[in-house]
Amino acid sequence: MLRKLSPTIVVVTALGMLLVPFGGFSGYLIRLLAMIFFWIGKTGCWNIISGYTGYIDFGAVGYYGIGSYVTAILMSKGHVPFLFSILVSGLVSAAIALPIGLPTLRLRGAYFGIATLAFAEAMKQIFLEFDKTVGVSFFEGPHGITLPIGPKNEFFYYIGFVVMVAVIGITYWIRRAKFGYALRAIHEAEHAAELSGVDTLRVKIKAYMISAFFLGLIGGVEAYWLTYITPHMVFDVLITIQMVVMSLLGGIGTVFGPVVGASFLTIIYELLHRDFPYTYAIIVGFIVVVVVLLMPKGIVGTLQVKWAMKKTRLTPSTQ
Amino acid sequence: MLLFLQSLLNGILLGGIYASYSAGFSLIFGVMGVINIFHGEMVMLGAFLTYWVFTLFHIDPFLTIPLSIVSLFIFGYLVQRFVINRVVEAPPMISYILTFGIHLIIAYTALWVWTADFRTVTTSYSGFNANIGGIIVPYARLATFGLALFVVVGLYVLLYKSEVGRAIQATAQDKEVARLMGVNISRIYAITFGVGAAITGMAGSLISTYFIVFPQMGLPYTIIAFCVVVLGGMGYIPGALFGGLILGVVQSLTATYLNSGLSGAFTFILLFIMLIVRPAGIVGKGIVE
Repeated sequence: MLRKLSPTIVVVTALGMLLVPFGGFSGYLIRLLAMIFFWIGKTGCWNIISGYTGYIDFGAVGYYGIGSYVTAILMSKGHVPFLFSILVSGLVSAAIALPIGLPTLRLRGAYFGIATLAFAEAMKQIFLEFDKTVGVSFFEGPHGITLPIGPKNEFFYYIGFVVMVAVIGITYWIRRAKFGYALRAIHEAEHAAELSGVDTLRVKIKAYMISAFFLGLIGGVEAYWLTYITPHMVFDVLITIQMVVMSLLGGIGTVFGPVVGASFLTIIYELLHRDFPYTYAIIVGFIVVVVVLLMPKGIVGTLQVKWAMKKTRLTPSTQ
Repeated sequence: MLLFLQSLLNGILLGGIYASYSAGFSLIFGVMGVINIFHGEMVMLGAFLTYWVFTLFHIDPFLTIPLSIVSLFIFGYLVQRFVINRVVEAPPMISYILTFGIHLIIAYTALWVWTADFRTVTTSYSGFNANIGGIIVPYARLATFGLALFVVVGLYVLLYKSEVGRAIQATAQDKEVARLMGVNISRIYAITFGVGAAITGMAGSLISTYFIVFPQMGLPYTIIAFCVVVLGGMGYIPGALFGGLILGVVQSLTATYLNSGLSGAFTFILLFIMLIVRPAGIVGKGIVE
């Protein structure tokens, strides 16, 4: 039943979302929704590589940060138009993902995780120290870069919406495509997938680059929204953590997991962060521990299993 | 030349520091296959323990070491027994994310309770050096280097000469057969984690005498420990010493001849090359997943 209904629900909600800025809602709400869109986008990117393949990417923020800087430099120093800048951001991130992914994606799970974490940290340090080491004024080190003042929140609301729909759409397409089956086969049993003729490295690289492209693009958009960026802000490891936690909470490797997880956590963040900044991170930590111990498939994953059981009255075999 | 020798010596001593807190990481991975993301938080807890005992009761930092060992052993034992043991049979990704959650809880509770202030443990003998022909040797770092050697040798003796050590080894080699031989696996896991935590806390106590102590210090320590252990070979305890020395020397030379901020970037490049060229570590005795 739900499978038939859900496309209708999704389309109606999406159309409703498009009309929100005309509904006379407060600027705060528009801003909050736009933030949620961007988090869904970022989490979706993480989900494409890590959710489907099970390779935990702890360095996703690296591509976000690179994208932020590309847009910031293009717009502030080259006066390049916004849309072109963010496209270049995405392409540069994807291009960097190739040489990074080629060696690291050969590594098994945990090794990949720390290697990517080290990659993101190294990128932060390179952006911080490059100018001082080489003696130029390009990345501006810890002082950061100021971008031209951007348009109002409504603009970013729509950009965020488009990006979110694109990421969800691609996740959905991947799930259906041969490519998606290959990715999930890697998750289940990589060696067997390889023996069955899946070029595992190629498939993983492809997913990794798609993920990096959108992360870079989102980084560029958010840099314009923030109007001021520093390496500490855009390479903050907490951004990666959020993506991991949001995916985990919603359901790793599901299409709508990031939507549920990101919305839920962004709202909790809004409620808690201003008054209790540290409590938020502690609560996130507890959520992670509890979800891993009691509900490892996340909210969407758990519900899917329940529906599948109701439907077939059998023990779940698909996920 | 003197600059080079000084830089080399700094690197070796730094390597000793790295080895002292990385050995526990290697032990925990070697036995349980758990990549412990809150490893750096155990360094932080050891360092804070020393800081508070020193500040409140004016007890010498070196005398707080037994306290660190005991407290961290209990902490590690309980965390493994009641939390990590529940997922130790699951795919590695699960324990990985779980320890990430614990990292958040510890780091941010510490930040909340102790605030983000930078603290130092300054004793009457802090900053004492030996000067050998123009090369400066700080005593505190030399002591840590000695400790690192002691930890590696001590762990080796524990693993190869004691009853518990043999049980730990048996568990690491073949969990099921060890279970059939009457080894209580979950208890061995808890003890292993406790031992790993204890030596890490001990390193934290020593580190507090010359590095800044603050609640957010943990994550960089985890990353360094991972690099050290990859360089030396995952799960191969003496490898922590080799890995630590290589990393320490590379970082020290980078800082002397290029820019100290870039040492992190060099660490990553080194890790990157090692993972591809020699995943079993520099002497090739590590575990390759």
